[in-house]
Amino acid sequence: MRKTLTILIGIIYSFQAFAVARFPKPDFTSGYQYPNIVHSAPYELFWNILDVVLLVGMMGLVVWAAYRKRSRTIILSMSLVSVLYFGFFRSGCVCSVGSIQNVVTAAVSSDYHLPWYVLLVFLLPIVFALLFGRVFCSGVCPLGALQELVNVRNFRLSRAVSATLTMIPWVYLAFTILYAATRSQFLICRLDPFIGIFRLGGDLGVMSFGIVLLVMSLFIGRPFCQFLCPYGALLSVFSALSWKKLEMTDKGCINCALCSVSCPVDAIRPPQDSKTNEERKKGVKRIILFALLLPVFTLAGSVLVGSQSDALSLAHKDVYLYEMLLRQEAQPELEEPLEVETFHALGGDMEELKAKVDGIRSDYSFYAYLVGALIGFVIGFKLLKLSLKRGRKTYEIDMARCTLCGKCFNYCPQNQSTRYTISNRKTIKNEKTIS
Amino acid sequence: MEKKDKDQLKSPMDRRDFLRTCSAFVAGGVAVASGGLLAAKASAKEGEVFWQIDPYKCTQCGRCETDCVLTVSAVKCFHANKVCGYCDLCGGYYRPNVKELNTAAENMMCPTGAITREFVEEPYFEYTIDEDLCTGCGKCVKGCTSFGNGSLFLQIDQEKCQQCNECAIARVCPSDAIQRVSNAHAYKLKDHA
Amino acid sequence: MRKLYRNIAIVTTVFMLALTVMLGVSYYQMQQVSPLETGVMETLKSLNETNGENESLQQQIRELDLLSRKAYFVKEGQLKVGIYLLLGMALVLVVCLNLYYRETKNLPEKEFDPIDEWMAKSRARKYLGWAAAVVALLVIGFVGVQQLDVKGLLARFSEEGALAEVQDEGENSEMSSEGLAEKVDTLGTDSVKGEAADSAEVDDMPELKIASRAFRGNNASATSAARGIATSWNLSAKKNILWQSSIPKHGYNSPVITGRNVFITGADAKARELYCYDVWTGELKWTVKADGIAGSPSSMPKVNADTGLAASTVATNGEEVCAIFATGDVICADMEGKRLWAKNIGQPDNHYGYSSSLLMYGNTLIIQYQNNSNAQILALNTKNGNTAWSKRGNDKISWSSPIIATLGGKTALVVMGNPAIAAYNIGNGSELWRVECMSGEVGSSPTCAGGVVFGASEYAKCVAIDGATGEVLWEASDYLPECSSLAATKDLVFCATSYGMVCAYDAKTGEVKKEHDLTTPFYSSPVVVDGKVYLFSNSGKVYIFSASTFDLITSFDTGEKTFATPAFTDGMMIVRTDKSLYCVKK
Repeated sequence: MRKTLTILIGIIYSFQAFAVARFPKPDFTSGYQYPNIVHSAPYELFWNILDVVLLVGMMGLVVWAAYRKRSRTIILSMSLVSVLYFGFFRSGCVCSVGSIQNVVTAAVSSDYHLPWYVLLVFLLPIVFALLFGRVFCSGVCPLGALQELVNVRNFRLSRAVSATLTMIPWVYLAFTILYAATRSQFLICRLDPFIGIFRLGGDLGVMSFGIVLLVMSLFIGRPFCQFLCPYGALLSVFSALSWKKLEMTDKGCINCALCSVSCPVDAIRPPQDSKTNEERKKGVKRIILFALLLPVFTLAGSVLVGSQSDALSLAHKDVYLYEMLLRQEAQPELEEPLEVETFHALGGDMEELKAKVDGIRSDYSFYAYLVGALIGFVIGFKLLKLSLKRGRKTYEIDMARCTLCGKCFNYCPQNQSTRYTISNRKTIKNEKTIS
Repeated sequence: MEKKDKDQLKSPMDRRDFLRTCSAFVAGGVAVASGGLLAAKASAKEGEVFWQIDPYKCTQCGRCETDCVLTVSAVKCFHANKVCGYCDLCGGYYRPNVKELNTAAENMMCPTGAITREFVEEPYFEYTIDEDLCTGCGKCVKGCTSFGNGSLFLQIDQEKCQQCNECAIARVCPSDAIQRVSNAHAYKLKDHA
Repeated sequence: MRKLYRNIAIVTTVFMLALTVMLGVSYYQMQQVSPLETGVMETLKSLNETNGENESLQQQIRELDLLSRKAYFVKEGQLKVGIYLLLGMALVLVVCLNLYYRETKNLPEKEFDPIDEWMAKSRARKYLGWAAAVVALLVIGFVGVQQLDVKGLLARFSEEGALAEVQDEGENSEMSSEGLAEKVDTLGTDSVKGEAADSAEVDDMPELKIASRAFRGNNASATSAARGIATSWNLSAKKNILWQSSIPKHGYNSPVITGRNVFITGADAKARELYCYDVWTGELKWTVKADGIAGSPSSMPKVNADTGLAASTVATNGEEVCAIFATGDVICADMEGKRLWAKNIGQPDNHYGYSSSLLMYGNTLIIQYQNNSNAQILALNTKNGNTAWSKRGNDKISWSSPIIATLGGKTALVVMGNPAIAAYNIGNGSELWRVECMSGEVGSSPTCAGGVVFGASEYAKCVAIDGATGEVLWEASDYLPECSSLAATKDLVFCATSYGMVCAYDAKTGEVKKEHDLTTPFYSSPVVVDGKVYLFSNSGKVYIFSASTFDLITSFDTGEKTFATPAFTDGMMIVRTDKSLYCVKK
């Protein structure tokens, strides 16, 4: 399909100054003509525009399906479209999850070009999250959609364990930012577990990890989204503050708890008495303690990660090369790695490299302290949040966690009765089996 | 009295809502502001979004063959006919120290037989690359650049390239030969001016 | 119905598992080992290259090649089919599982037991706190380990430092007790000694202990540790002449001696050859041709008659000998005359002809490949000809040859060109210092004595550079060499010009200590041997000076034009003239 557009190599061109030209250009006497070789051009802007249009359109559809129709079928079909188009057809690049890195790199370095559509791919899901919650995660993100389609059953982890595990995406996000800001590598792209499946090939280790995650998601709702995805962590901040809040039904909760059992990501909070068997004074003291500890955690995280900046900087190609060169100099008997060999062959200058490496290292020490502080702050904040008591009367959706998969709609008996009044008799049977 | 009671009842909800609305506005503001700033950056330059190899930096280390995310690398050997010397004893076609100039297996450089040649006239041969067979190992390129005019060179076939956000080969390229290029310069050809 | 779905799901799972393992293995093979380049294949191919015509071997290669090609493409196809099959099966599995669970799906699993949220929160707090603490401790532990490592490293460094000091002291004492010339030569001598002990050759004549392994002696130092060299000889009367042999092809390169072998090269439009003579008899032992090299030009490059096609002197390390010709062909042979490897490093774009001589240091072959285009210094591995490193700078064309010198206690490569004299780390080519002091066409080579590097060119000046720091000690321009190179002792620097003036500069100040107007041009370079300086004029006249005062001791005509610089060994001197090679021995 991309073949549609091709470029032609011109016939009359002068020699490149660099060409080695050991042998003179042949003088053909038989009237031989140089062949015209045509190379296929890369795909055009068209696909990028289509990506963005589809992104917006699908998110809009999901909003409509979730807030108006309360239909899981539409969301599931969106998931299928997403997996087929964004996943298999567009082979997963560039995705919103990965665009974090482009944005961070562009934000810190002046010479990095951020294409407009990458910026949109990054911003649009955030805008939607601010309005309607994690619409993007629902049926638009191919990674989430793939897990959603595969999921058949939910065996949930203990709430305490999953609350602890939700720290992993933040740590992942912090390191992603560190590596992107220092222009070392795109961690998310390297460790994307499902890209290998979409491309039908890739790094074997990462692919096996993806398969393991998929097998897990047969029985656990969206393990990647819940416990790994750094973009999900980012979105959860915005969706927690979302303008609209999703409700299972218009008709009011009857506290049947069916929705809570159905939720694959444990986002539906049961009614809770704000009183507990703990003394109020003790609770208040704890809150004050954690509030005071927040800066301590931030500082500790900053110092701990910052102290490792030299070790972390090895992830940068040039720093690694420099270290290899030093090692080679210290132990010349070792076999030369290809990088070292090439460095020498190209007449690389050690002093120049050292200056470069020093620059990278100072970048690293700055950003390592920064992301360390981020990790510390998130942990401290989470602890603070966990010590807050909050009462509610009915089952409520926690917008920070909810991925709008729509499972709960079908479970809510209130919705069933709505359908009963409107449409066919089939649902009556369903309702009977429930009750 | 009644009013006060009502206020007291309502007040905790109000406080929470107030906080939430404030944070929402802050978050929205941050998103919009950073988006605006980055958008200014995004429009500043011509889009360099495709990956391509600079053949003058390439050292033919062989990693293009092994490190592409595709099973058969998107990197292919290209041939600049206008640079080629059309030699019989071609450093890219024959193995070094070749004894006889024929197509026997022990004489051929290309592991997949992707280079074919056709007799043009005494003493010239035209060389052609079959891109479907080429694995991008760069053996012929190395042979041609060290012993010939350097008319064979490695390029990323833009049709096969998956346009990864971060090119897996670029990450391991020892000479930093793979960079992003704009659509207008999607190929860095050797017979181009 | 449910049972059916379950059974389908189970069967699919089993198939999928098997298929996944198979695909994984096959994928791994495709990614990791290129099936077309198995070890067996490569070994067979290299065997074919070293062996002569071997029909059965070639047949074997062809069969294996065909087989592996088939296997490769079949595997590629299988992989594709396999992946689609796997995806299809995954689809079936998911659908079956969905159907299987459809009935139970809408029912709650168990009686509702409302979770005590506060309990969960308290527990989560605890878990999170512990997790954070464990991670923090791990990081701290990691820091601790690193610190320990640093201590270990420090200890090692201080040990090394102490060792280096001891070595320095040893070197210093050696320097003071013996002359500088001896010191430079010990390297070559020792290894030759070892060889002599190893090979139990039952020849009446022994291998020579003192080698001259490159242009102007070991390390191209323009000094030799040889003693007892004759100060008079007569070619026509065969007085003090051990042998005289003819040379098949012409060349301006100088002889090189190691063990019992004398190496020179010669070339004409038809062939380029490396010759090995016996040092005791003058017999031509073997010839290695530089032919059949991929990339070698079919027609000879244009060269000046004063340069020729074989102007570069060969170099040896006692095991291999390498030669280079004006075509850019480099060949390497062992001591028995077997060609080990050959390659063309690109035809030099050189308007007079390529003339820089080779130099070897251990297994590294240094080529000062500075031509009009692509000027660089190349270091090749002498075992296989692979490039160890190369160094491109902004240098222009030059005809100078590299030397190895001990600078500030370290062995370094010194290269003189246009516009700079520079010192490099010989192991990796990193630049130690660079002094931009040359200009024009640089044909002369540098020299080093007492840690000071001297270089001079007719179109620039004579410069003395502190080898340790790269600081210029003095400059002079009284007399400057064009083709001939400098020779030096700790006190004097000897210079022979193309217009017949020879002089000695004070090595400390650059002042001219002594000069002689000999009215005959010199292309050959002076060499310091046994307290004397030997110098040949183009016409074939020999001048022997005292190395301490630069007084002329004797001079006489040999009758044969001489452009090459002689090589010295125990009591012997090998001279290459316009037409022959002869050995002078008392």
